[in-house]
Amino acid sequence: MSERPGVLDGVRVLDLSRWIAGEYATKLFGDFGAQVIKVEKPGEGSHTRRWGPFPGDRPDPERSALFLHLNTNKRSIALDLTDPADREVLLQLVSGADAVVESFRPGALERLDLGPEVLLRQNPRLVITRISAFGQTGPRAGHEATGIVLQATGGPMNATGGAGRPPQRKPGNLEHYTIGRTAGEATMAGLFAARRNGSGSVIDVSGQEVLLSGADRRASYLMSHAFSGWIPPRGVRSAHRFGTTFTGPFPAADGYVMLYVTTKDFWNRLVRLVGGDDEAFLAKYLDREALGEDWDEFDAHVRGWFAPRGKIEIMERGEAARIPITALLEVPEVLAHPHFRERGAFVRADHPVAGALEYTGAPWRMAGGFALLRTAPLLNGDGADIRAELAAGSPPPTRWRLSTSQPLANCDER
Amino acid sequence: MTGVTKVNYLESAPEPPLTTNSVGTDQRRPAAELPLAGIRVVDLTVVWSGPGATALLGDLGAEVIRLEGNNRMSRQASARVTRESFRASGYHGGTYPDRTPEPRPYDRTALFAWHARNKLSACCNLETPEGRQAALDLLAVSDVLVENNSNGTLEKLGLGHELLLQHNPRLVIARMPPMGMTGPMSNYLGYGPNFNSLVGIAAMDGYEGEPPDSAGENYHMDEAAPAGLAFAVLAALWDRENTGSGGLIEFSQAEAVMAEVGEFVIDAQLNDRAPAIRGNTDPHLLQDVFETARDDRWVVLSIRDDRDWAALTDAMAGLGEPDPADRRVLTDGNSAEGRRLHSRRLRDEIARWVRTRTADQVVEQLQAVGVPAGEVMAEDRLLADEHLAAREWFVSRSHPAVGRHRFPGHPWRADGFDLAFGRPLPSFGEDNDYVYTEVLGYPAERYQDLKRRKLVTDEQFA
Repeated sequence: MSERPGVLDGVRVLDLSRWIAGEYATKLFGDFGAQVIKVEKPGEGSHTRRWGPFPGDRPDPERSALFLHLNTNKRSIALDLTDPADREVLLQLVSGADAVVESFRPGALERLDLGPEVLLRQNPRLVITRISAFGQTGPRAGHEATGIVLQATGGPMNATGGAGRPPQRKPGNLEHYTIGRTAGEATMAGLFAARRNGSGSVIDVSGQEVLLSGADRRASYLMSHAFSGWIPPRGVRSAHRFGTTFTGPFPAADGYVMLYVTTKDFWNRLVRLVGGDDEAFLAKYLDREALGEDWDEFDAHVRGWFAPRGKIEIMERGEAARIPITALLEVPEVLAHPHFRERGAFVRADHPVAGALEYTGAPWRMAGGFALLRTAPLLNGDGADIRAELAAGSPPPTRWRLSTSQPLANCDER
Repeated sequence: MTGVTKVNYLESAPEPPLTTNSVGTDQRRPAAELPLAGIRVVDLTVVWSGPGATALLGDLGAEVIRLEGNNRMSRQASARVTRESFRASGYHGGTYPDRTPEPRPYDRTALFAWHARNKLSACCNLETPEGRQAALDLLAVSDVLVENNSNGTLEKLGLGHELLLQHNPRLVIARMPPMGMTGPMSNYLGYGPNFNSLVGIAAMDGYEGEPPDSAGENYHMDEAAPAGLAFAVLAALWDRENTGSGGLIEFSQAEAVMAEVGEFVIDAQLNDRAPAIRGNTDPHLLQDVFETARDDRWVVLSIRDDRDWAALTDAMAGLGEPDPADRRVLTDGNSAEGRRLHSRRLRDEIARWVRTRTADQVVEQLQAVGVPAGEVMAEDRLLADEHLAAREWFVSRSHPAVGRHRFPGHPWRADGFDLAFGRPLPSFGEDNDYVYTEVLGYPAERYQDLKRRKLVTDEQFA
């Protein structure tokens, strides 16, 4: 628990999203002190409530691990956006909000007569962050997408996977989180713009463009192609490097390790580690610039050295020799690992339905940073409170932007 | 003005865009200011996650100054790289314009250019007393420091965050140690794939039913860190308005990315299990990647529900009479349970159909009936893509070091304020004059002395 208000205390965010990217964007705000209200469809709620995983794989909207994870530090109100009275509630919430995050299909808010013009008329300083697969405009704006469609069209998927094998996507829901984190950053930028300029904004977050501009080599690949026409191939790790590289997962006795030798220093250390006292081996492989026909022989030697040893032992031996080798930890092993336990990387909290669970904690640490003040809300769990607050005319209790009229300080003003 | 306006980097506009910082001598202020106009960021980052983060701060209008040593590689390219060394190692050279590193490889690599937009470059050798002093002087008049060096590097240079905060209590200092600054593994060596493996991501990555194998260039931690770091810096600057104080952001990249498997962390507690390796499949969707009529051109598609399935099978049936056996196979997909049980067989049927079609045909036909589908896009296809062209995503820019090219655009756009996209990259030391004489205010003789002693140069030696 933080001893001081979170850094975003007083910032009010409305979460109209129903899927991972939008919910992760607003989670970042809630976890760092902002007041986040989640607007959900009556009786059904967010899509992440139906996704799971669930205890015993039995669907339950209050026990979906995905929803529980993504909606910490938020309150929930159920509103039927086609109902005039509920729509009025939404507009009142918009009046008191600093930002709205939505991820409806392009055009859906407009069809509800809740498009940006309507919302900005209600609150001219509002930041409206719109997350979609391909952006709000352009010939593909109406295209349907899932995570793998986003990875195929935006991510480096063409270059991931084995040589001569199909392209391979990244696992889990990683692409949605990347897009959501970026939408959170964009929303923060919009808040700064509103603070400086006194006016709101409409932010267009295209999932495809987020991935295209990303550091997972996609942007640098696009740059490379513009520079030289090069298209990175599949099946080559670190295709942008040259010189001796020897990388990848290798089987250990009890799992796998990830080896990432990309420099001559690392290479020589690896040769010494797996070569031991074998003078002929050392003489053959030390100081090599590249492997040629003897790749298979060297590879077999490394595999032979790893195979009988445990993954943790290999990692410790590698670290002692200053070689980048790490164990592939399964999620339950991560949860139990002394490094993360000692750092307090997980936080325990009690949810009224799901019970006591540990959640991933601070994504980064700072004064007034991450605090898990409340677990994910029950569907419409705060509806009555929020309606009562609106009836009492209570917002805005914290209108930071009215009390801070100066522009942000910069070094000129110090 | 800074060096940013010496060359017109835009295609045709007569005036520079609203991209230069407003610190310094330029007093023109646009009607709507960039979100971070007037904020100065000192960039001591090295590779990928760090420079990716400062690029985002530059997009928002911050003045990002990279301090780069002339005696070490700060741009992932050595001054000694040549076409000859490419030939010796068999390297394809494709990350350089025309596959040519000369004459200044460190100005010419795509690995630098992808993140270097809007940044300034000043030469500074931090391990020399003069370099350290210049860094301290700069940090005294700056708002943010971002670094992603190994733990302890700044301390060894006498630039630890505690000392810097004594110097300038308003400074926001973002440090990006992969495993954090404390804990038993905090000093472990590694790259993105290594740390992905320590937070559970690598163990779930691989082809369906096969041993784990991170998908080629899947570093993911590098992908995840930049926007998180930029959010953190923005939150700290926001907070500084209330407290008047900067402070430390400890950005453990592994813990930042761990949130992306947060649902599996909960699942592990609920069901005592680890996520399976699913390749291109998904537990909730019938999906895969399929080769089209053209070799090595692939499409992906997902079936979310019965409606998607009906739309897909209608599309498949419309192409000719499937034989009765095919029909029976396809009816197995009429329910979610059937699609789960018969996933492999159904995907084989889809694969046969896709193999007779072009990528454009498959995507257009399925999107027309609301089924999620897309092509696995190679770089040449993206640069020619009409959707991205309509959205004007690529941006044509030129710089004497690399020539004119189309650069990747911003990750998002706003109606209501601008984002910066001016000079595409700085040559090494291109902004020495501005930083040393205007920002630091060094007298001419002091600056000339540093240059004479090769402590400040506009070329790199390492």
